[in-house]
Amino acid sequence: MDKFIFHIQRFDGEKKWLQRYELPYEPGKTVLWALTTIKDDLDPTLNFTSACRHAICGSCGIKVNGHSFLSCKTSLDELVARFKTTALTFEPMGNFDVVRDLVIDWKPKMEKMKKVNPWLSPASHGSKSDGFIQSKEEADAIAKPTDCILCGACASECNQLDVNDGSYLDPFIFNKAYRFLVDSRDNAPDARLKPVVENGLWKCLHCNECVTQCPKGIPLTDQIAYLRQRSMENGERNNQGARHAYAFHDDVRSKGRLNEMMLPVKTDGVVKTVTKKIPFAYRMIAKGKINPFHFPKKIDGIEGVRKIYSENEKERV
Amino acid sequence: MLTYDVVVVGAGGAGMMAALSASENKNLNVACLSKIFPTRSHTGAAQGGINAAMGNRDNTDSPERHFKDTVKGSDFLADQDAVEFFTKRMPEIIQELDYYGVPFSRDENGKVAQRPFGGASSPRTCYSADKTGHVILHSVYEQCLKNNVTFLDEWFLLSLVVEEDECHGLVAMDIKSGEIHGIKAKSIVIASGGFGRIYWNRTTNAFNMTGDGTAACFEAGIPVKDPEFVQFHPTGLASTGILLSEACRGEGGYLLNKDGERFMKKYAPDKMELAPRDLVSRSIEMEIKAGRGFGEGLEAYVLMDLRHLGEEKIMERLPQVRELALDFEGTDLMKEPVPIRPSCHYMMGGIHVINPETLETPVKGIHAAGECACVSLHGANRLGGNSVADVVLFGKYAGIGARKTAEQRSFSGDTLLTEKATEWHDKFHTMRQKEAGKSLVEIRNTMAGTMWDNVGIFRKKDEMVHALETIEQLIEDYKETFIGDAAIRYNMAFVNYVEIGNLLTLAKAVAMGAIAREESRGSHSREDFPERRDDEFLKHTLIYKEGDDYRLDHCPVSITSYTPEERVY
Repeated sequence: MDKFIFHIQRFDGEKKWLQRYELPYEPGKTVLWALTTIKDDLDPTLNFTSACRHAICGSCGIKVNGHSFLSCKTSLDELVARFKTTALTFEPMGNFDVVRDLVIDWKPKMEKMKKVNPWLSPASHGSKSDGFIQSKEEADAIAKPTDCILCGACASECNQLDVNDGSYLDPFIFNKAYRFLVDSRDNAPDARLKPVVENGLWKCLHCNECVTQCPKGIPLTDQIAYLRQRSMENGERNNQGARHAYAFHDDVRSKGRLNEMMLPVKTDGVVKTVTKKIPFAYRMIAKGKINPFHFPKKIDGIEGVRKIYSENEKERV
Repeated sequence: MLTYDVVVVGAGGAGMMAALSASENKNLNVACLSKIFPTRSHTGAAQGGINAAMGNRDNTDSPERHFKDTVKGSDFLADQDAVEFFTKRMPEIIQELDYYGVPFSRDENGKVAQRPFGGASSPRTCYSADKTGHVILHSVYEQCLKNNVTFLDEWFLLSLVVEEDECHGLVAMDIKSGEIHGIKAKSIVIASGGFGRIYWNRTTNAFNMTGDGTAACFEAGIPVKDPEFVQFHPTGLASTGILLSEACRGEGGYLLNKDGERFMKKYAPDKMELAPRDLVSRSIEMEIKAGRGFGEGLEAYVLMDLRHLGEEKIMERLPQVRELALDFEGTDLMKEPVPIRPSCHYMMGGIHVINPETLETPVKGIHAAGECACVSLHGANRLGGNSVADVVLFGKYAGIGARKTAEQRSFSGDTLLTEKATEWHDKFHTMRQKEAGKSLVEIRNTMAGTMWDNVGIFRKKDEMVHALETIEQLIEDYKETFIGDAAIRYNMAFVNYVEIGNLLTLAKAVAMGAIAREESRGSHSREDFPERRDDEFLKHTLIYKEGDDYRLDHCPVSITSYTPEERVY
């Protein structure tokens, strides 16, 4: 290997193109080294953002061969090994407006983040003059979510955001809502739970791409699962996602298995099922995917299943 | 014309605390302007902690002791009225930050946890693992969102418009659109950070720490105070200069030379690794000079050993540090010692502030806080854990000061602002059209090289004079440079061009101040004048820029409680 080849997506506000650059190979270098070296030595018109160069400011996320990375902490050698090529394609992160070249716009994301009231709503056991008492365990609960550096890698990877109309909250916004919800100093669970339910909490596709690419290892999908549970406990049950979850819950509890025929009815109601889902159901039946005459009976050992439920409920109380 | 009652320039800890406290008056229209998105600011890079005499871990600690430690750490150059004001109020501001949601680490009583830090007589550094600055920055940003502060993200300060010591407003570029605007303001807070990038890659600083606000104040007639005092952090990673927190030493890390010796016993037998930064940095360099380091020349280093702390403590208190050493030096510090060497870290000097309670400057309407400013809290050497403390506390009071100024002043006319904006507009146009000239990158790298080699940790006259001449030549070359990008939209080449101009302007002040100070004090270590000389130099340097000329002057140090004595650790 004697050189790196980079295809960098350029954008000037109107047109978009891929531009090729070459740098002589050097071991142990990062993606950010490549970008700064290209700008310094080859092309001053190339634009990207970066600041701290040690993975704390969150400015330098880009896509390399379709996956999002922080360019400062990502080694070129590792990318070459992973993609088995010295030709790498750099693009701006996905699901953001692009300003120029690899530069993306954060302003609209912050406007969206305001929906979850992203600030502490202080509980009454603290005050501005004396602060709070918070146990080590309580502090541990917010340690990981406050590692978030707002780099946007999670949003860039998010498959729901890709297809969504724009209302769906970015994973880092769910993280923000979670962060305050589990903070013992906060007293406004509704201010987090209502907006997340209204803005797509149940639409997460569980693809886990956000978790995979988060440079800080934040368990975003676990947080979304937690937000769903808390929202149902908080009475947010009259929505498609919660009804769907309850349909599973209730079926398995009573029969030990799912009644697929009734699942859409329970999730979407009779009217919507009849008007929207019937043609789809016909096609499913025609292809042999579902059997309309199958009414599941209780499984053997249903008592055991119910025992699991009641033990679990005891624990939660 | 854009008009705000208060404009804050910079959205780090100081800027956002200022914006937050200015916005407490709901009748005022407050904007916070920053060349980067707020949470990218360099406050976020502060790892180890924030000093406040809470007495949570050691109930004998007091603001008085914090006061004394800071003054001693400053090598008696700090203004003691400012230090006393600061140390007294720090405990209450920690509670305030707690109330804003900062996720501090906690002790067994549920109070904010504290750890030992260099130069401190008590474990008084409050922390959140090793991401203290990061969590403070994000929490203060959240509070600003709550208070509906107007953020002008990715707006770049070009000039302050001042006439006869009265400020009318500023000129700034909206980087995304490339438009240049005059902005009218009754009061301005400059909180734009330090300028460690005069050493370019030999610094822990982010790429954008280019002293834009300090340079703009300097151009507007406000002197730069004590620019010669540059802090070199002892524990930069050897190959990149990236910072490993002082918390490493605070939690008990050892420094070792190539003979495996804890060499600090020769230089600070009492405090050992927990001596202040200036002393530890010099000790490391002395070991390297004496041939007891590893490697040679610019590649030389010593080791920091944390293995004896145990994996559990490292993972609880220093998880980020471990990751940095893994990612950027390829060393797992749970298993082996990590190579380190001093790296430029912090500017003690900066914009001349004349009142520590309002953060006023000599120009009516301009306040300054944070690393860009010199209050002077840190004197000749800053203690670890005092910078995040500085930004939140003086940021807050600068915001209150600016609020009061805005309540008392009225808006000026448009003329001067429009003129200045047009001037910048023309300059932008000219630079976009220019197709050839001297290389900006070469100018930048020559500046960094000469500053590191000649105005670094150890200094002597002839070397510094050489550096000064080099910088003066570079300032001439800079007039002949070009940017190579004709775009209007997001033209970072132009922004970088202005930044390098600012660095050159300030590098010259650093060299001048350093040549004139013929003594060794704090971070300023003269091989030709190894002693501190209170009779002649117990005073602040002030450098004024008058056109292209620099004029050196002085002002007295405020000494209220502690008379200077020998500084031993």
